[in-house]
Amino acid sequence: MNIAVCVKQVPDTETKIKITDDKKWIKEDEINFILNPYDELGVEEGLKLKETNGAEVTIISLGPERISSTIRSALAMGADKAIMIKTDKNPLDPAVTAAALAEVLKDGNYDIIFTGKQAIDDDHAQIAALLSEILNIPAITVITKLEINGTKVTAHRQIEGGFEKIECELPLIISAQKGLNEPRYASLKGIMTAKRIPIDEKKLNLLQDRIDILEISYPPQKPPGRIIGQGPEAVPELIRLLREEAKIIS
Amino acid sequence: MSGSVCYPSFSKSLFSGIILEELIFPYPAQKAEERENLEIILATLRKFSADYIDTKKFDKESKIPEDIIKGWKELGFFGLVIPEEYGGYGLSTTSYCRILEEVGAADSSTALLLGAHQSIGLKGLLLFGTEEQKKKYLPKLATGEMVAAYALTEPGAGSDAAGIQTRAVRDENKGVYILNGSKMWITNGGIADFFTLFAKEEMVMPDGEKKDRITAFIITRDMGIKSGKEEEKLGIHGTSTTALFLENVEVPFENVLGERGQGFKVAMEILNSGRVGLAAGSIGGSKRALKDILSYVTERKQFGKSISEFELIQEKIAQIVLNIFVAESMVYLTTCMIDKENIDFSLESAICKVFATDTLWDNVNECLQMAGGIGFSHEYPYEQYLRDSRIFTIFDGTNEILRIFIALAGMQEQGEYLKKIGKALKDPIKGFGLITDYAVHYMKERLTTGRIRSVHSRLSAVKSDFENWAKNLYIATERVLMRYGKNIVQKEIIQKRLADAMIDLYAMISSISRVDTCINKKGEENCQREIEMCNTFCQQAWRRIRRNILMVDKNDDNSILNIANLSIDEKKYPLPWQF
Repeated sequence: MNIAVCVKQVPDTETKIKITDDKKWIKEDEINFILNPYDELGVEEGLKLKETNGAEVTIISLGPERISSTIRSALAMGADKAIMIKTDKNPLDPAVTAAALAEVLKDGNYDIIFTGKQAIDDDHAQIAALLSEILNIPAITVITKLEINGTKVTAHRQIEGGFEKIECELPLIISAQKGLNEPRYASLKGIMTAKRIPIDEKKLNLLQDRIDILEISYPPQKPPGRIIGQGPEAVPELIRLLREEAKIIS
Repeated sequence: MSGSVCYPSFSKSLFSGIILEELIFPYPAQKAEERENLEIILATLRKFSADYIDTKKFDKESKIPEDIIKGWKELGFFGLVIPEEYGGYGLSTTSYCRILEEVGAADSSTALLLGAHQSIGLKGLLLFGTEEQKKKYLPKLATGEMVAAYALTEPGAGSDAAGIQTRAVRDENKGVYILNGSKMWITNGGIADFFTLFAKEEMVMPDGEKKDRITAFIITRDMGIKSGKEEEKLGIHGTSTTALFLENVEVPFENVLGERGQGFKVAMEILNSGRVGLAAGSIGGSKRALKDILSYVTERKQFGKSISEFELIQEKIAQIVLNIFVAESMVYLTTCMIDKENIDFSLESAICKVFATDTLWDNVNECLQMAGGIGFSHEYPYEQYLRDSRIFTIFDGTNEILRIFIALAGMQEQGEYLKKIGKALKDPIKGFGLITDYAVHYMKERLTTGRIRSVHSRLSAVKSDFENWAKNLYIATERVLMRYGKNIVQKEIIQKRLADAMIDLYAMISSISRVDTCINKKGEENCQREIEMCNTFCQQAWRRIRRNILMVDKNDDNSILNIANLSIDEKKYPLPWQF
């Protein structure tokens, strides 16, 4: 089996984000970057298939120089190969990213292509669907469970209030949702092995980015809490406020 | 490393008035590949810590659960410093210390488990082991199949390591040493299978006289070494700390580590290189306590505002930040010296240990103070941080002994020099060159000021302070040596002052180098925080240095000693009720 996992480097969720002075981007120099957690689920699922069915797992990522550490951390988990599409910066437009990824993917003859259900930085959640369109193979998204039997794939898809069970034929694209698996830790041994795997660097002509950021701003400060009274006599007022002001009960 | 030391120590040279700036500038940077590797290892470490490390539980149950130790082993954290050819991962001291720092932030006991294994337990094998010994043990130590411990301390020999009583007697027929004796306070003592252990054997000197000499041995659990019960300790409850008992333990001749009779040197070299690990772990502990207290002081409201808005809280926070900033600057400069492999770093690693562990204690103590009443409660983490930190100023050389080491080892070269001068003066013709040499040296020290390469203008004031007080330390050292001669060995309070001045000087210059290098890389406008921290700390430091150097000459030491002796003679507070 031939597996590709598309991964993105994102800021660590613990990082305190600071906006640049021109309000167009965030200050990158003191950010700790990590492998997008949803993509990590894709890597783990690929590695599980490698262990059960025998497969070669290729990591594909697009972005500036610094993404090599993220590619290495995916390799350190146990992936076999890596392709890096080197760009000056991360495109803002998911279509640009998807087109470039597809350019690499189409030559790879992959049976399954994993992505995360979304990146935790810009949260577009479009790559799987866009790749499906460009490559003309089915994509099933937000998957929490995956079974493969020959060329038949059964996937559990999270939908509002329940699950959908979908059957599909290989090749296909899967976007991973939390619950799919528990990603393994990269061991020192894996990290040292990954060090010796060459990363195949590609330079592509990217499409025109059609998105422009006008301004980035911080979320509004949480207003301070209010004490509206004490004991049982405060309850009616609390209910009134929850209903009319906070609008969280009806 | 051993025996190949060729570049002199920065600090020893400074005591002699020579600033070896090339050891300090520019501040070293990790190679991109090493840094990338380290980042991935740290990511694994953080995930594993978040999932499995429960420092409060380890403390309460006085144990790190075995499956968690197994997890660390499987991930490879027992083989960090072991070369790849022996099944380890060959990390640099810098990477290793950065990892210990991060483990120290998660749980002190775990940091000590990993640190005792790698910084001291198996370090002797790396430094002094034969090829056969390395091949035999390192692969098992790298996987954690064997856990290592360092066994020097005995009931009657703590700081005075030369006074150990454990005996090794050669049985030439069987080809083994018979060892008898006991060891105390051995970290990993209850779980280790591999011991770097020191014992005395009788050796015949070249002149035919028989003398006791210390020899280092590799002893494995299967040879019959027994562990005592787990010690009940103030802190670091998760760490295994036990006594060890040797009763006619037979150790094959081939398990001598290093040369026979050279055990004291082996013991000291291991400790010298192990100390930076403790310093790094202390930085982690300080960062953790600071992080926790910051979320508290920004939430806790008194007088209608967060207590973080009050100056006396901010003053404490700032001091902790400065302490960490400087400890980082010193430790990661020193680890790079160690990684270069041909620099004498013995004083610098001791300086790092003293500074980072003294400030660790101050930092967690102030965090507890800021937490107020809840700081005293078991429900909050501060009391555990305090308990866990307490041992750091005691073990691996108490900070008192290390200050004496810093001062005496630092003064040694200058002392030798003066001794030679003394001889030269008695025999002026033969010693002419030496005197001239000395005179030139003497004059140069006193006339030149621009001693270090120029640094960024924002740092030039503190750079001049450094040069000025470095010169003053040198002059004071010389004065002290002239005044006390070899009796300086007894003058511990004087030694402490000189050592403290040296510690502050090393702290200053490491910080100046760090920030100067930072400015060169990122530009002044992007280093405002670092510049402010460096300048602020250096102001604090030179004032302390000034006081210490003034008090080398003008002090109340005699009264201090008198008062101490009054009490020591009475064995209690010396005065009766007088009111």
